Amino acid sequence: MEPFFSRYRNILVLFVILLAQIVGLAVQVRRTTDGRGILDSNDGPGVRLIRFWAESLLAPPERSIHYTKIGLLTLWQNYLDLHSVRQQNLDLQRTIDRLRLEQASLLEDARQGQRLQAVLDFQQKYIYTTIPAQAIGSSGSDQSRVFYIDKGSNDGIKPDMAVITADGIVGKTRDVFQHTAQVLEVNDQTAGAGVILETTRIRGILRGNGAGLLEIVGIMSDQRIKPGEKILTAGGDMIFPRGLPVGEVQKVIPDPDRDSYILVQVKPAAQLARLDEVLVVTSTQPRFSDQQQQDIAASEALKGSDVGTMKEQQKASQIMAERLPGLTDPNLPVVQQPDPTQPDATPKPVTPTRALPPLHADRFSPRAAAASLPVGPGSQPSTRPAAGSSPNAIRPAGNSTTKRMAPATAPATGRN
Amino acid sequence: MSVLGLESRREVEIRRYPLLVYVLAPLIALVLQAWLPRVVGRYIWFDFPLLITVYFAMARRSPIQGTIMGVIMGLLEDALSHRAIGINGISKTVVGFLAASVGVRIDVENHTIRTVLTILLSLLSSAIYVFIFRIMLGLALEWSWFNELARAAGNALIVMVLFPLLDRFKIRD
Repeated sequence: MEPFFSRYRNILVLFVILLAQIVGLAVQVRRTTDGRGILDSNDGPGVRLIRFWAESLLAPPERSIHYTKIGLLTLWQNYLDLHSVRQQNLDLQRTIDRLRLEQASLLEDARQGQRLQAVLDFQQKYIYTTIPAQAIGSSGSDQSRVFYIDKGSNDGIKPDMAVITADGIVGKTRDVFQHTAQVLEVNDQTAGAGVILETTRIRGILRGNGAGLLEIVGIMSDQRIKPGEKILTAGGDMIFPRGLPVGEVQKVIPDPDRDSYILVQVKPAAQLARLDEVLVVTSTQPRFSDQQQQDIAASEALKGSDVGTMKEQQKASQIMAERLPGLTDPNLPVVQQPDPTQPDATPKPVTPTRALPPLHADRFSPRAAAASLPVGPGSQPSTRPAAGSSPNAIRPAGNSTTKRMAPATAPATGRN
Repeated sequence: MSVLGLESRREVEIRRYPLLVYVLAPLIALVLQAWLPRVVGRYIWFDFPLLITVYFAMARRSPIQGTIMGVIMGLLEDALSHRAIGINGISKTVVGFLAASVGVRIDVENHTIRTVLTILLSLLSSAIYVFIFRIMLGLALEWSWFNELARAAGNALIVMVLFPLLDRFKIRD
């Protein structure tokens, strides 16, 4: 027997190793009633142990590489490439001030909406708590579209949590380790998500294909679906909160497997091929996070200070109005006087009931001219001074008979 | 061509490396395989674990060592994915065994032979992967042979740089 083993040692070792792996595969895959194989979504303890070893072996160097890259980028962006940062800061500060005010009103609406929902016993899923994470590695294969993030169970990550970016959905957490977690991207062949087309409100199931492209299946042929239509999460899969952007319709083709069905090819909103920072949705409970509470408080303080400033300005205006007699007309009836207690009362033009007497009347003053006399050949010019006119009134030199002013109706100038 | 017998030739031409190279080269290969797709996107036209398996199997000229190297690299690669563990393991086990078996019989010092051999083994690895996935396990898998050809070509390009680099670490008698 010894010569047999020594002669066929290589083949025997190969055979034993292959056999062991085939048995291992058989344990992981089970057959369905229609003869198709299905991979267990939940890893067994042995499989999980191997994944844990691989993750423990490779995550530290991956993390080191990633953080080195981040460090170099930070060094460049924060210390070297500071061109026009000051102006950007000013612009951003203005934007923040404006957005805080807007946010305060929007959050007030949201709170009201939640109260109404609670009253109606109807609650939607909103995102309220997310954890930012960095993508540090991948599976290294285009047949398994997963990547690893640098947050794990120690940070509150659990399996089947939605992973998103500001642009759109990315995937869901799968295997979670202490310091890392595996994220299954939505464009993997085994991934899925419930989606809804924004305009037509048609629902379908999003999945990936072998080329890593997204498509929606399970939709009956519909002429209304056009390229460019936005696609959102439907919220029925218990993973992705509803209303998150998924992408937009790129192309509509007939489903080769099923008649009268179509495949909607989707252009993803998130850059799935180039992900660096993602957000893990850890809570969808309808409540405000601490950060949002702080933002609300800051916004309300900002609003309060603005209101205070306005009140001070109004008070100063009232004082000025009281001290400046020209701002009020003592000759006006009481009902037409502006109300000093109303700070926002805008001054209105007032029509005086009578003309004010001039301090130094002349012939141009109101009621200075005598009643019109017939002017005709031989008529005498009036030499009588007008009533109320001053003795020192300047008389026009020369012939005064040709010009005589009609009584003027003085315009109201009692208030400016 | 040497006139020595196979066993004698294997003993003469067997290469030895520092222990650190045996540890670090596979580790770096796996890290690069996991990290580089974050940079290059969908163009994963390389397979560093396969290249390391082929290199050490041919250099050591031991089918058992090639098999063990293949199974370790393959299982770790599987463990990083969300697929069943063992698919890459089987394909790289076979590749390691064949590379070492071929390395005993032909002159693997020649760069052209090594490059051509790498292309063939890369395609064989892909074929075994598809066979296991679709035929043995009956799992649904969309497949593109263009990608596999591109991966084989990419591997061939990397081999031209990587293998001479690793050759520098061999212990000279």
